[in-house]
Amino acid sequence: MRFTIAREKLQEGLSAVTAAVPTKTTLPVLANILLETTDKGIRLSGTDLDIAVSTEVLADVETQGSITIPAKKLAEIARELPSAPVKMSSAGEQKVTLECGRSRFKLLGLPRDEFPSFPTVRFNESWRVRSGDLQKLIGHTAFAASTEESRPILNGVLWELRPERMRMVATNGHRLSKMELPITSEGAPSGDLIVPPKALEQIRKLFPAEEDLEIARGDNHLAFRSPFTSVFTRLIEGPYPNYEQVIPKDNDRVALADKNVLAQSLRRMSIIASDQTHRIRLAFNAGMLKLGVQTPDLGEAQDEVPINYEGDPLEIGFNANYLIEILRYMPTDEVRLTFKAAERAATIEPEGWKDDARYLGLVMPLKLID
Amino acid sequence: MHQIAILASAVVDQIAAGEVVERPASVVKELVENALDADARFIEIVIEDGGRSRIRVADDGFGMRREDALLAMRRHATSKIRDASDLVGVSSFGFRGEALPAIASVSEMEIETSANGGGGTLVRAEGGEIIEVRDAARRTGTTVTVSRLFYNSPSRQRFLRSARSEWRAIADLIASTAILRRSVRVLVSHEGREVMNLPAAPSVRARVAALWGAQFADRLVDVDDVRGEVHVTGLVERPSDVGTAARRIHVVVNGRAIRDGGMVRAAEAAYRSTIPAGTRPSVLLDITVPADAVDVNVHPAKVEVRFRDRWLVERAVESAVRRALGSPRSAASIGVPAFWAVPKIAFSPVDVEVLQGPEDASPLLGGSVTAVDIVMPERNREEAIPVPPLRQLRHTYIMFEREDGVVFIDQHSAHERVLYERFMHALEHGDAASQRLLFPLTLHVGPQEGDAFEEHREMFERLGYEIEGFGGHTLLVQSVPAPHPRFDAERCLRESLDALTGSRLPGTASRHEKLAATVACKAAIKAGDSMSDGEMRSLFSALARTVLPAHDVHGRSTVVHLPWDEIERRFGRR
Repeated sequence: MRFTIAREKLQEGLSAVTAAVPTKTTLPVLANILLETTDKGIRLSGTDLDIAVSTEVLADVETQGSITIPAKKLAEIARELPSAPVKMSSAGEQKVTLECGRSRFKLLGLPRDEFPSFPTVRFNESWRVRSGDLQKLIGHTAFAASTEESRPILNGVLWELRPERMRMVATNGHRLSKMELPITSEGAPSGDLIVPPKALEQIRKLFPAEEDLEIARGDNHLAFRSPFTSVFTRLIEGPYPNYEQVIPKDNDRVALADKNVLAQSLRRMSIIASDQTHRIRLAFNAGMLKLGVQTPDLGEAQDEVPINYEGDPLEIGFNANYLIEILRYMPTDEVRLTFKAAERAATIEPEGWKDDARYLGLVMPLKLID
Repeated sequence: MHQIAILASAVVDQIAAGEVVERPASVVKELVENALDADARFIEIVIEDGGRSRIRVADDGFGMRREDALLAMRRHATSKIRDASDLVGVSSFGFRGEALPAIASVSEMEIETSANGGGGTLVRAEGGEIIEVRDAARRTGTTVTVSRLFYNSPSRQRFLRSARSEWRAIADLIASTAILRRSVRVLVSHEGREVMNLPAAPSVRARVAALWGAQFADRLVDVDDVRGEVHVTGLVERPSDVGTAARRIHVVVNGRAIRDGGMVRAAEAAYRSTIPAGTRPSVLLDITVPADAVDVNVHPAKVEVRFRDRWLVERAVESAVRRALGSPRSAASIGVPAFWAVPKIAFSPVDVEVLQGPEDASPLLGGSVTAVDIVMPERNREEAIPVPPLRQLRHTYIMFEREDGVVFIDQHSAHERVLYERFMHALEHGDAASQRLLFPLTLHVGPQEGDAFEEHREMFERLGYEIEGFGGHTLLVQSVPAPHPRFDAERCLRESLDALTGSRLPGTASRHEKLAATVACKAAIKAGDSMSDGEMRSLFSALARTVLPAHDVHGRSTVVHLPWDEIERRFGRR
């Protein structure tokens, strides 16, 4: 194998792939990236077995071939090289020579056949989605997924694809976030995919917003493809819980509040809230929200926030962190909160959002001490 | 018809001997107590054949004049009290005046005594009959020799056990007396060999070290606490050492060694949740109560006493021991720590009242509050605990450096302890945080688990579980506790029900303890869980704020201390 590549191109390819390379692994070859020559240049691939990223960059190929080399070292070298053409060649299966200007490196690699093969996904039945739309959905929902291993299904983000819309939902069983966007897809099938948030996060960062992505489903994998780069991720199996059923439709107590004022007050209160439960108390009264917190070993605090609230007074307890987090993702300055009762789900939505997307956050209450 | 007759005094003495003198050890006890009552500074005890053939107790006390020595052989002759009013608050060991004649009636006794040095008296008696009285030369003090015990009482003699087991009883008795009167030098020989040489000791700990070895003394933690009029001091075994050596029990009330199961049980109650069930700690307690709060004249050998308010004293004992076990010094130690070195402690002193919670806290949302209003309690515990840099090892232990060495914390045990105390608090006050679930959990349980749930239903609710029995054996869980972010509510409930199967403990307190311990164990982070820096810090300060930080609910150590001495020794620096 022998090729010459511009240093910038090499770096571009490496930066796309190295995010998928695990920092700690029991399988040594996973710390390497796979280099393969193609018709137009070279293909770089990296994987942690959950996610695989593969990208093609232009290069001047003299002789065909492939090898794996340590990802981290190659990325560090590429960063420090002068801006000049980089010549790479491998004689045997395990040694790579890299020359750039007067610098010269020899790196030990591992044979190509030790590198795991990528899942095969056929793109004949695929969806087409604009990367920017995907970024928006991921950015507003993935945070709410569970990080606990007790219910693996909740570790994923539900992605519903329908002919006229797509929607993402994530929850940890205590709070939920949901966003949907209208789309126009030509004859693509409906699909419900449960995707690990880590893969979605990589996709959000990897593809430019204006790019169109092709998405296809394999046996238990999902593939994302742009003209030069492909990402494969494992899918989480199983039916997602029926979230529609738990989103309240009859919450009749409505409060409108300034998002930033409310979030600031919540952050103040959470200083005194328990480290474990983050329990705070909200008391809604006409025109005024009173916040209170009382932690046995620590102390107590109160605050007041003016709000627009009509209806019977309501006292309700929450994990302050859940509220603070969902408010952070609210796209508008004003938010709309709805309630039914102290033990029922509360919803938070943007108020006056000029956007064709629809966004909803839901938080389950914490029991209050009497 | 049998005629009724007044018994001859020799017979009366023999009957009394049955109460006071059961075995050689009781003879030793009476004689040693007499010596102590005579203000002896030095007592020499010689035992032969387990006390069956000879017991000799010599002291340097104030001795007796001839008339007194003869009188002492008669029943109810005593120098220690004069009339019935002296009985209240009696402080001498003996006072009933029945010991010497009783012993004399069943043995050959020889008393050699002198009250002023030089000119003394020797009295010899056989079966209670004085057969010889003559002058003898002796230093001030008394020597009593009892030979051929029970020679004239074959029924008793038959009940004597082997020399070995009689000797063991004597040794226990001497030990208990030696702890009690540690300013007295005691020399004991058995079968002609010196077996104990106890110099006057400055402290109980030093006496214990002389008796049973420095290593044993080192496994004991000091107790010293006052509760109302009751003062409890002593030494109790470190929970991590319990069950690994012979158990020693020693209870003293107002300077008198007694047998009292209640006090021992009260001390053991303080160990609850720190040692495995079935193991019992060594306990040496010295309890001081006002003289009128205790009646010592209820047993001829005075080994039992009656308290005016037993419950009050037991409470004091339990809280004193619990307080002692709460000190970091009660944590397990690696290697052999320097005997007297009291470590400088990173934990701030642990307050027993921590779990009480603010009872008169101001109502949360009452009154008109302007802007932010933060009220801190007087003692700010959050600030009071400085957290050293922590490091997680093998995803199982947390290590940190302290002035006197390196300390390891077992993360699971530590978290278990923290949660246990929190759950106990929740069970008593019902204020656990309860997170409502978006998707209720459905649990299918077996009939036994179902029964266990019904049995503990209300307590699970107090912990924060909101569960609807769904008929049959399906439980619908609507809310779960939220003790920490990694809590797996379903697994915890399932495993706790499994563990509680078939348990029907009497009493709310023990049921609370069992449930809290079970749930804490299931809810705590596991060995192998990686912890963030923040999580470790928060566990550290939560542990330091618990009442018993050094032990988990199964009696394992949560904290192990590796002293610098040990490390330096291994590196050959000392």
